[in-house]
Amino acid sequence: MIYFVVVCALVAFCLGCGRNERMDALYAQRCFNCHGGEGRGDGPLASALPARPPDFRDTVQKHNNSQIRRVIAEGAGTMPAFAPVLSPAEINDMLQMVRFLSREGRELAWWEKFDTLVVAHCSIPWETVLGYDQVPEQAKP
Amino acid sequence: MKVPGWHVLAPLAILALGTPVGAMRGGAHELELKTERRAVHVRINDFKLIDQSAKPFKFENLSGKVVVVSFSYTTCSDVCPLITSAARQVQLGLSAAERESVYLLTVTTDPEIDSPEVLARYAKRYGVEFANWSFLTGTETDLQKIWKNFGVGVKRKGRGLVDHTPLTAIVDRNRQMRYVYIGPSPDPKRVLTDVRALLAQP
Repeated sequence: MIYFVVVCALVAFCLGCGRNERMDALYAQRCFNCHGGEGRGDGPLASALPARPPDFRDTVQKHNNSQIRRVIAEGAGTMPAFAPVLSPAEINDMLQMVRFLSREGRELAWWEKFDTLVVAHCSIPWETVLGYDQVPEQAKP
Repeated sequence: MKVPGWHVLAPLAILALGTPVGAMRGGAHELELKTERRAVHVRINDFKLIDQSAKPFKFENLSGKVVVVSFSYTTCSDVCPLITSAARQVQLGLSAAERESVYLLTVTTDPEIDSPEVLARYAKRYGVEFANWSFLTGTETDLQKIWKNFGVGVKRKGRGLVDHTPLTAIVDRNRQMRYVYIGPSPDPKRVLTDVRALLAQP
């Protein structure tokens, strides 16, 4: 019986890490027009924007979760700031979605396989706590 | 080696089924990017709103200037970034002398979210110069009168999600709306040409 409880807990934990319909709906509503369905920066509005949105596969792995959360919350250039309208949980969903899309079609570093698990279950902004979340000056909008 | 029992395999099977794959993946929808230009003649009434510095703003203070007015909201991930970018190009295209006689306004279509602070941060992201551009908000009642005067339909779909007419308009020195651009990407060069034509009029 103890195995059952342990495995159920493990499954419940891991289920929270997958891409789900809630994330897809949020992405469709807020991100798709510019970033495109697969996060390649080729949404229907992308070509009309002054700067083409980035391909997540090229840029996302270079930034930590705190930095990505900050861009989602505070915006960058023509990208809206979503902090006034999204809850921290929704911003976390968006962050996970960005991470998922950034992994499609490329080899993952070992730590990346565990990263969404941390994002999904740990709301403590470790990067901020440990003080290594400062966005470099040139990356600021 | 002992084979795991149902109590281990059943939850793992649920996990193996995985989370649903997004229905949206690959299902692109097309947005209409075309912008229509129309010559019109509509009197614009005086109004009072609040600007991005939380200071009162009176439209009557712009009397004698040509005013480019656009309607957007800051959390819009649809056409508003294009409209505001086009307005910024118009601002950049004005000469120093023209900036004395031309003013730009962005009027929010989502006063619930767009406080002066939110508007100020939005404007900063576009590199806006506030010398001849104000971002305006106010009460829903006050804004509704302005939206109606300019012919802008606004429909709230959810928090931070608003359907609205993608309108950019030019108001002449006599407070007559003379040109409207309906669509997400008014051509800044065309807008500047129309602005200059109106500047040449008394």
